[in-house]
Amino acid sequence: MSAHSHVDGQLPHEPEKATLEGRNKVLGFWLFLGGETVLFGTLFAAYLALRNQVGDGNPTSQELFDLVLVGVATFILLTSSLTSVFAIQAMHKNQVKSMLIWLAVTVLLGLGFLGLEIYEFVHYVHEGHGFTTSAFSSSFYTLVGFHGGHVAFGVIWITILIFQVLKKGLNVVTAPKIYVAGMYWHFIDVVWVFIFTVVYLMGKVG
Amino acid sequence: MSSNHSSSEQQGRRHKVEGPQKHIIAYVFSLVLTLLAFATVIAGEVNTMFTYILLIVMAGIQVYIQMAFWMHMKDRGHMYAIVGILTGVFVVFTMVVMAEYWVWW
Repeated sequence: MSAHSHVDGQLPHEPEKATLEGRNKVLGFWLFLGGETVLFGTLFAAYLALRNQVGDGNPTSQELFDLVLVGVATFILLTSSLTSVFAIQAMHKNQVKSMLIWLAVTVLLGLGFLGLEIYEFVHYVHEGHGFTTSAFSSSFYTLVGFHGGHVAFGVIWITILIFQVLKKGLNVVTAPKIYVAGMYWHFIDVVWVFIFTVVYLMGKVG
Repeated sequence: MSSNHSSSEQQGRRHKVEGPQKHIIAYVFSLVLTLLAFATVIAGEVNTMFTYILLIVMAGIQVYIQMAFWMHMKDRGHMYAIVGILTGVFVVFTMVVMAEYWVWW
Protein backbone atom coordinates (compact mmCIF):
# COMPACT_ATOMS: atom_id res chain seq x y z
CA MET A 1 0.00 0.00 0.00
CA SER A 2 2.84 2.38 0.79
CA ALA A 3 4.09 1.92 -2.75
CA HIS A 4 0.71 3.05 -4.05
CA SER A 5 0.55 6.24 -2.05
CA HIS A 6 3.89 7.27 -3.55
CA VAL A 7 2.96 6.62 -7.17
CA ASP A 8 1.13 9.85 -7.86
CA GLY A 9 2.54 11.95 -5.05
CA GLN A 10 5.92 13.61 -4.74
CA LEU A 11 8.98 11.54 -5.50
CA PRO A 12 11.08 10.78 -2.39
CA HIS A 13 14.83 11.27 -2.28
CA GLU A 14 16.54 8.13 -3.65
CA PRO A 15 13.23 6.72 -4.98
CA GLU A 16 14.85 3.33 -5.69
CA LYS A 17 15.14 2.69 -1.93
CA ALA A 18 11.84 4.26 -0.86
CA THR A 19 9.90 0.99 -0.78
CA LEU A 20 10.73 -2.44 0.61
CA GLU A 21 10.19 -3.86 -2.87
CA GLY A 22 12.74 -1.44 -4.30
CA ARG A 23 15.32 -2.28 -1.62
CA ASN A 24 14.75 -6.01 -2.15
CA LYS A 25 15.21 -5.53 -5.89
CA VAL A 26 18.59 -3.87 -5.34
CA LEU A 27 19.72 -6.58 -2.89
CA GLY A 28 18.50 -9.34 -5.21
CA PHE A 29 20.37 -7.73 -8.07
CA TRP A 30 23.62 -7.78 -6.08
CA LEU A 31 23.16 -11.51 -5.50
CA PHE A 32 22.59 -11.91 -9.25
CA LEU A 33 25.80 -9.97 -9.93
CA GLY A 34 27.68 -12.32 -7.56
CA GLY A 35 26.45 -15.20 -9.74
CA GLU A 36 27.42 -13.33 -12.91
CA THR A 37 30.92 -12.85 -11.47
CA VAL A 38 31.25 -16.63 -11.11
CA LEU A 39 29.82 -17.19 -14.60
CA PHE A 40 32.30 -14.87 -16.29
CA GLY A 41 35.04 -16.21 -14.00
CA THR A 42 34.58 -19.74 -15.36
CA LEU A 43 34.74 -18.40 -18.94
CA PHE A 44 37.92 -16.44 -18.09
CA ALA A 45 39.43 -19.54 -16.48
CA ALA A 46 38.62 -21.63 -19.57
CA TYR A 47 40.11 -18.97 -21.84
CA LEU A 48 43.29 -18.69 -19.75
CA ALA A 49 43.74 -22.47 -19.85
CA LEU A 50 43.20 -22.72 -23.62
CA ARG A 51 44.56 -19.46 -25.02
CA ASN A 52 47.78 -21.00 -26.36
CA GLN A 53 46.16 -24.14 -27.79
CA VAL A 54 46.36 -23.27 -31.46
CA GLY A 55 46.84 -25.78 -34.30
CA ASP A 56 49.43 -25.43 -37.07
CA GLY A 57 48.57 -22.54 -39.40
CA ASN A 58 45.69 -21.26 -37.24
CA PRO A 59 45.94 -17.59 -36.26
CA THR A 60 47.32 -16.83 -32.78
CA SER A 61 46.23 -13.97 -30.56
CA GLN A 62 49.35 -11.93 -31.46
CA GLU A 63 48.59 -12.16 -35.19
CA LEU A 64 44.88 -11.54 -34.81
CA PHE A 65 44.14 -8.73 -32.37
CA ASP A 66 43.85 -5.14 -33.55
CA LEU A 67 44.44 -2.92 -30.50
CA VAL A 68 43.16 0.26 -32.14
CA LEU A 69 39.71 -1.28 -32.68
CA VAL A 70 39.67 -2.64 -29.12
CA GLY A 71 40.80 0.75 -27.79
CA VAL A 72 37.91 2.52 -29.52
CA ALA A 73 35.44 -0.09 -28.20
CA THR A 74 36.83 0.37 -24.67
CA PHE A 75 36.48 4.15 -24.94
CA ILE A 76 32.85 3.81 -26.10
CA LEU A 77 31.90 1.46 -23.27
CA LEU A 78 33.65 3.54 -20.60
CA THR A 79 31.85 6.65 -21.85
CA SER A 80 28.51 4.83 -21.76
CA SER A 81 29.22 3.97 -18.12
CA LEU A 82 29.56 7.69 -17.38
CA THR A 83 26.35 8.57 -19.24
CA SER A 84 24.44 5.96 -17.24
CA VAL A 85 25.79 7.57 -14.03
CA PHE A 86 24.42 10.90 -15.30
CA ALA A 87 21.05 9.22 -15.91
CA ILE A 88 20.91 8.00 -12.28
CA GLN A 89 21.96 11.46 -11.03
CA ALA A 90 19.18 13.05 -13.10
CA MET A 91 16.77 10.48 -11.61
CA HIS A 92 17.81 11.50 -8.08
CA LYS A 93 17.04 15.13 -8.97
CA ASN A 94 13.70 14.06 -10.49
CA GLN A 95 14.70 15.43 -13.91
CA VAL A 96 12.84 12.85 -16.00
CA LYS A 97 13.63 14.35 -19.40
CA SER A 98 17.36 14.60 -18.76
CA MET A 99 17.36 11.06 -17.34
CA LEU A 100 15.71 9.71 -20.50
CA ILE A 101 18.18 11.55 -22.74
CA TRP A 102 21.18 10.12 -20.85
CA LEU A 103 19.65 6.63 -20.99
CA ALA A 104 19.14 7.02 -24.74
CA VAL A 105 22.78 8.13 -25.15
CA THR A 106 23.84 5.05 -23.16
CA VAL A 107 21.80 2.81 -25.47
CA LEU A 108 23.32 4.43 -28.57
CA LEU A 109 26.86 3.98 -27.24
CA GLY A 110 26.01 0.35 -26.43
CA LEU A 111 24.85 -0.13 -30.02
CA GLY A 112 28.08 1.45 -31.27
CA PHE A 113 30.07 -1.00 -29.16
CA LEU A 114 28.07 -3.93 -30.53
CA GLY A 115 28.60 -2.73 -34.10
CA LEU A 116 32.37 -2.67 -33.57
CA GLU A 117 32.32 -6.13 -31.99
CA ILE A 118 30.30 -7.62 -34.87
CA TYR A 119 32.69 -6.01 -37.37
CA GLU A 120 35.64 -7.44 -35.41
CA PHE A 121 34.20 -10.99 -35.32
CA VAL A 122 33.36 -10.94 -39.05
CA HIS A 123 36.91 -9.74 -39.76
CA TYR A 124 38.37 -12.58 -37.65
CA VAL A 125 36.27 -15.21 -39.42
CA HIS A 126 37.64 -13.92 -42.75
CA GLU A 127 41.15 -14.30 -41.30
CA GLY A 128 40.38 -18.00 -40.73
CA HIS A 129 39.51 -17.70 -37.04
CA GLY A 130 36.13 -19.47 -36.82
CA PHE A 131 34.39 -20.71 -33.68
CA THR A 132 35.68 -24.28 -34.12
CA THR A 133 39.12 -23.42 -35.55
CA SER A 134 41.05 -24.06 -32.33
CA ALA A 135 40.56 -24.35 -28.56
CA PHE A 136 41.79 -20.76 -28.40
CA SER A 137 39.16 -19.54 -30.86
CA SER A 138 36.29 -21.43 -29.14
CA SER A 139 37.17 -20.07 -25.69
CA PHE A 140 37.74 -16.58 -27.14
CA TYR A 141 34.37 -16.40 -28.89
CA THR A 142 32.55 -17.89 -25.90
CA LEU A 143 34.01 -15.36 -23.45
CA VAL A 144 33.90 -12.21 -25.59
CA GLY A 145 30.64 -13.22 -27.28
CA PHE A 146 28.98 -13.81 -23.92
CA HIS A 147 29.97 -10.30 -22.90
CA GLY A 148 28.61 -8.96 -26.19
CA GLY A 149 25.39 -10.85 -25.51
CA HIS A 150 25.16 -9.09 -22.16
CA VAL A 151 25.61 -5.72 -23.87
CA ALA A 152 22.86 -6.60 -26.36
CA PHE A 153 20.56 -7.63 -23.51
CA GLY A 154 21.33 -4.38 -21.66
CA VAL A 155 20.54 -2.32 -24.77
CA ILE A 156 17.15 -4.03 -25.15
CA TRP A 157 16.40 -3.77 -21.40
CA ILE A 158 17.21 -0.05 -21.11
CA THR A 159 15.28 0.71 -24.32
CA ILE A 160 12.19 -0.98 -22.87
CA LEU A 161 12.66 0.96 -19.60
CA ILE A 162 12.80 4.24 -21.54
CA PHE A 163 9.41 3.45 -23.10
CA GLN A 164 7.99 2.38 -19.74
CA VAL A 165 9.01 5.66 -18.09
CA LEU A 166 7.56 7.60 -21.05
CA LYS A 167 4.27 5.77 -20.50
CA LYS A 168 4.08 5.55 -16.71
CA GLY A 169 6.40 8.30 -15.51
CA LEU A 170 9.14 8.15 -12.90
CA ASN A 171 7.83 6.82 -9.57
CA VAL A 172 8.82 4.44 -6.78
CA VAL A 173 7.88 1.47 -8.99
CA THR A 174 9.89 2.45 -12.08
CA ALA A 175 12.86 4.08 -10.27
CA PRO A 176 14.34 0.82 -8.84
CA LYS A 177 14.24 -0.68 -12.35
CA ILE A 178 16.28 2.21 -13.76
CA TYR A 179 18.72 2.02 -10.83
CA VAL A 180 19.24 -1.73 -11.22
CA ALA A 181 19.70 -1.41 -15.00
CA GLY A 182 22.38 1.21 -14.32
CA MET A 183 24.18 -1.22 -11.99
CA TYR A 184 23.96 -3.90 -14.69
CA TRP A 185 25.54 -1.53 -17.20
CA HIS A 186 28.47 -0.74 -14.86
CA PHE A 187 28.97 -4.46 -14.28
CA ILE A 188 29.22 -5.00 -18.05
CA ASP A 189 31.94 -2.35 -18.12
CA VAL A 190 33.74 -4.06 -15.20
CA VAL A 191 33.77 -7.33 -17.15
CA TRP A 192 35.03 -5.50 -20.24
CA VAL A 193 37.95 -4.02 -18.24
CA PHE A 194 39.08 -7.60 -17.57
CA ILE A 195 38.44 -8.67 -21.18
CA PHE A 196 40.56 -5.92 -22.70
CA THR A 197 43.26 -6.53 -20.08
CA VAL A 198 43.37 -10.33 -19.98
CA VAL A 199 42.26 -11.24 -23.51
CA TYR A 200 43.50 -8.44 -25.77
CA LEU A 201 46.45 -6.77 -24.04
CA MET A 202 47.92 -9.92 -22.50
CA GLY A 203 47.16 -11.78 -25.75
CA LYS A 204 49.21 -9.21 -27.61
CA VAL A 205 52.08 -9.46 -25.11
CA GLY A 206 52.09 -13.25 -25.49
CA MET B 1 5.81 15.94 -13.71
CA SER B 2 5.97 19.74 -13.58
CA SER B 3 3.71 19.69 -10.51
CA ASN B 4 6.47 17.87 -8.66
CA HIS B 5 9.00 20.62 -9.15
CA SER B 6 8.48 22.70 -6.03
CA SER B 7 8.42 19.65 -3.78
CA SER B 8 11.55 18.18 -5.30
CA GLU B 9 13.37 21.47 -4.77
CA GLN B 10 12.47 21.32 -1.08
CA GLN B 11 13.79 17.76 -1.03
CA GLY B 12 16.95 18.94 -2.75
CA ARG B 13 17.56 21.49 -0.03
CA ARG B 14 17.18 18.93 2.72
CA HIS B 15 19.38 16.30 1.05
CA LYS B 16 22.67 17.28 -0.48
CA VAL B 17 22.46 16.36 -4.18
CA GLU B 18 25.88 15.46 -5.53
CA GLY B 19 27.17 17.14 -8.68
CA PRO B 20 28.71 15.52 -11.75
CA GLN B 21 32.31 16.71 -11.02
CA LYS B 22 33.27 13.64 -8.97
CA HIS B 23 32.08 11.31 -11.72
CA ILE B 24 33.86 13.21 -14.46
CA ILE B 25 37.10 12.93 -12.44
CA ALA B 26 36.52 9.17 -12.04
CA TYR B 27 35.87 8.93 -15.79
CA VAL B 28 39.02 10.85 -16.76
CA PHE B 29 41.07 8.78 -14.30
CA SER B 30 39.70 5.53 -15.82
CA LEU B 31 40.46 6.87 -19.29
CA VAL B 32 44.07 7.65 -18.33
CA LEU B 33 44.48 4.15 -16.85
CA THR B 34 43.08 2.61 -20.05
CA LEU B 35 45.44 4.66 -22.24
CA LEU B 36 48.39 3.70 -20.01
CA ALA B 37 47.48 0.01 -20.29
CA PHE B 38 47.28 0.17 -24.10
CA ALA B 39 50.44 2.28 -24.35
CA THR B 40 52.39 -0.20 -22.21
CA VAL B 41 51.51 -3.04 -24.58
CA ILE B 42 51.93 -1.08 -27.83
CA ALA B 43 55.34 0.25 -26.72
CA GLY B 44 56.42 -3.32 -25.90
CA GLU B 45 60.07 -3.67 -24.92
CA VAL B 46 59.12 -4.28 -21.28
CA ASN B 47 59.54 -7.51 -19.32
CA THR B 48 56.46 -9.74 -19.88
CA MET B 49 55.88 -10.60 -16.22
CA PHE B 50 56.18 -6.95 -15.24
CA THR B 51 53.68 -5.97 -17.96
CA TYR B 52 51.21 -8.61 -16.73
CA ILE B 53 51.39 -7.38 -13.15
CA LEU B 54 51.10 -3.73 -14.21
CA LEU B 55 48.06 -4.50 -16.40
CA ILE B 56 46.30 -6.44 -13.64
CA VAL B 57 46.95 -3.67 -11.08
CA MET B 58 45.57 -1.00 -13.44
CA ALA B 59 42.50 -3.15 -14.20
CA GLY B 60 42.00 -3.61 -10.45
CA ILE B 61 42.02 0.16 -9.85
CA GLN B 62 39.52 0.71 -12.67
CA VAL B 63 37.19 -1.94 -11.29
CA TYR B 64 37.44 -0.35 -7.84
CA ILE B 65 36.42 3.03 -9.31
CA GLN B 66 33.44 1.49 -11.11
CA MET B 67 32.21 -0.47 -8.12
CA ALA B 68 32.91 2.02 -5.33
CA PHE B 69 31.74 5.22 -7.02
CA TRP B 70 29.47 4.20 -9.88
CA MET B 71 27.82 1.15 -8.34
CA HIS B 72 27.61 2.95 -4.95
CA MET B 73 29.47 0.22 -3.06
CA LYS B 74 31.24 2.80 -0.91
CA ASP B 75 27.86 4.09 0.36
CA ARG B 76 26.56 2.68 3.61
CA GLY B 77 24.20 -0.31 3.62
CA HIS B 78 26.20 -2.25 1.02
CA MET B 79 27.53 -5.00 3.29
CA TYR B 80 25.57 -7.72 1.44
CA ALA B 81 26.80 -6.40 -1.90
CA ILE B 82 30.43 -6.44 -0.78
CA VAL B 83 30.15 -9.92 0.75
CA GLY B 84 28.35 -11.23 -2.37
CA ILE B 85 30.88 -9.84 -4.84
CA LEU B 86 33.89 -10.85 -2.71
CA THR B 87 32.54 -14.41 -2.48
CA GLY B 88 32.22 -14.42 -6.27
CA VAL B 89 35.76 -13.05 -6.64
CA PHE B 90 37.11 -15.75 -4.30
CA VAL B 91 35.49 -18.51 -6.39
CA VAL B 92 36.78 -16.91 -9.60
CA PHE B 93 40.32 -16.58 -8.21
CA THR B 94 40.33 -20.28 -7.29
CA MET B 95 39.11 -21.24 -10.77
CA VAL B 96 41.62 -19.05 -12.60
CA VAL B 97 44.54 -20.40 -10.55
CA MET B 98 43.29 -23.92 -11.21
CA ALA B 99 43.05 -23.29 -14.95
CA GLU B 100 46.43 -21.58 -15.22
CA TYR B 101 48.53 -23.95 -13.12
CA TRP B 102 46.67 -27.22 -12.84
CA VAL B 103 45.11 -28.01 -16.23
CA TRP B 104 48.51 -28.26 -17.96
CA TRP B 105 50.38 -29.62 -14.94
